[in-house]
Amino acid sequence: MNAKLKETILNPIFKGNPITVLVLGICSSLAVTVTLKGALVMALSVIVVTGISSLILSLLRNTIPGRVRIIVQLVVVAMMVILVDQILKSFEATYAIDKQLSVYIGLIITNCIVMGRIEAFALGNKPWPSFLDGVANGAGYGMILLIVAFFRELLGSGTLFGIDILNRFGYVPNNLVILPPFALILLGCIVWVQRSIQKDLQEK
Amino acid sequence: MNTNNNVYTVIYTTLIVVVVAALLAFVSQSLKGKQDANEKADTISQMLTAAQFGTKAEFQKIGNAAVLAKYAEEIGEAFTVDVNGNKVADLPLDKVFSPKELKRQNYNIKGGANKTGEPEIPVFVFKNGKTVVPIYGAGLWGPVWGYIAFENDLKTIAGAYFDHESETAGLGAKIKDDPAFQAEFIGEQPDFSQANVFEIVKGGAPAADGKSLVDNKIDAITGATMTSQGLDAAIDTWLGAYAKYFQTAAPAKECDMPCCQDGGECENKEVEE
Amino acid sequence: MEYLSLFVKSIFVDNMIFAYFLGMCSFLAVSKNVKTAAGLGLAVIFVLLVTLPINYLLNTYVLAPDALIEGVDLSFLSFIVFIAVIAAIVQVVEMVVEKFSPELYSSLGIFLPLIAVNCAILGGSLFMQQKDFLNIGEAVVYSLGSGIGWFLAIVSLAAIREKMAYSNVPAALKGLGITFITVGLMGIAFMTFMGISL
Repeated sequence: MNAKLKETILNPIFKGNPITVLVLGICSSLAVTVTLKGALVMALSVIVVTGISSLILSLLRNTIPGRVRIIVQLVVVAMMVILVDQILKSFEATYAIDKQLSVYIGLIITNCIVMGRIEAFALGNKPWPSFLDGVANGAGYGMILLIVAFFRELLGSGTLFGIDILNRFGYVPNNLVILPPFALILLGCIVWVQRSIQKDLQEK
Repeated sequence: MNTNNNVYTVIYTTLIVVVVAALLAFVSQSLKGKQDANEKADTISQMLTAAQFGTKAEFQKIGNAAVLAKYAEEIGEAFTVDVNGNKVADLPLDKVFSPKELKRQNYNIKGGANKTGEPEIPVFVFKNGKTVVPIYGAGLWGPVWGYIAFENDLKTIAGAYFDHESETAGLGAKIKDDPAFQAEFIGEQPDFSQANVFEIVKGGAPAADGKSLVDNKIDAITGATMTSQGLDAAIDTWLGAYAKYFQTAAPAKECDMPCCQDGGECENKEVEE
Repeated sequence: MEYLSLFVKSIFVDNMIFAYFLGMCSFLAVSKNVKTAAGLGLAVIFVLLVTLPINYLLNTYVLAPDALIEGVDLSFLSFIVFIAVIAAIVQVVEMVVEKFSPELYSSLGIFLPLIAVNCAILGGSLFMQQKDFLNIGEAVVYSLGSGIGWFLAIVSLAAIREKMAYSNVPAALKGLGITFITVGLMGIAFMTFMGISL
């Protein structure tokens, strides 16, 4: 049992990574990886949302009618995200944070990872493993996001977390890197590296 | 339990939708007051930032109450004008326009099916003579808006602050996050005589140091073509609507082209009509 | 805006895949062969074509401030309403495909229900809210154009991938890796359309 739980947690980080293996959550990984800060905010939000929504849907799993499961899943996920948004917006201390997050709200709700994991895991498993699966997938996703953002910010702006790294040495930021297509090319390279190490993932 | 029969499915779906809608409506209604207060303070700090009373980060630090107090201290006059530059009504001094209200006025300026009435767009005049007006339009992903402050000659831009709902972090979001971009506006002079009041152009606006050339052009944000274009259109639309006001309310004809361009040689005459 | 220019613009200039990079997951995963790709492309066109006008009507006559009752602003519900409409339509499509083409159903796998979270669909509705269409006609033209743009993108990628089966790609890059890079290059090519003003 414990080995199985461990597998649930570790698998999504590398071997079954949602982005590079399951091909989920690509859109947002292109939009938020221009800066490391943006990637970090998005990664943390997705970890929280996938974890909690997997938990809730797993608790409801025996009551959801098969034919309307998509509506139920999406409504629950969207409701959660909007609720958090509304609450953050009402306190003076958190208003500024919410303004930063509001950019990502649409991306989080429609992030295929959230629903992909609910469909593939939470609807067939007990709440606790589902929660772990959600969190682990969020983490695997966040890891790739941070790797891509690291290269894009470093090469595209010459900075990391907004702090100048390369520009002081006379580096001229490469504008191609901050365009979305370059994120795809980077993702391709990450897949390349991963599959060179893990030969069993290679396609014929 | 048979979860696949029709009655169960219908009841379940209805229940979920009703519960969710009720919950959201309840939360949204009960928190609305607080949210509006936060939004108002945020809007005011944007106007103060545009008019160069401080930076956005400073206003964020001092808190809502202090921002409101600062605004009450500095604001001199607020009123609405129509597209012909005529004053429509005085505004209470604590009244600001939320992004939603700007959106409605944006419809009214542009006309078409969404128009609800004649445009009544706000002008905020601070005690130090600076005039602040809003702009509003569509960026790449969602609305962009902001405030442009004019010196008391009503020709030269004194500062600008822009905000957005969901532009790409690191690219389009720079209109808000990059003080250097906002600083580019300072000292430029919009051309109110033509439809293309202001231009955000790709490469080639020679204003790297912000002082070299006074014209109506600044450099666009690299990699954020669509956001730059959207902001350009928003500025054209709104400053275009204010053009008559700025032309008629600008101080004294005798101080026309030559002296004003050197900046501030002419006497500061009263801005009000 | 003229219908024709809106139509062309939504296919090429505002291409959902290459200009906004929306709906990438299913785009990458279901483009191994042209036939399946075309099936998913058609499903996306259909879902966009149905959901966008419905959401337009809901947005204009129910959700917009003062639309239903004077002084009531329901726009905080727009996200959830759009999503509910989309999810309902996708559910219907899923049932229809399962019944009439089990073969297509099994090859689309999880990506059929995932149309619901295909960002291109929700993106379409949110852009609609953003673009302030003047009437339902514009909304229909825009939804059709975006759908066709998506269809075009996935079919052309699938065609490239079919040809690529015969080329000598490094083993670790085969499949997903080279697809990412191909799409990146296609995206750069499509950026040329951005300079066109219609």
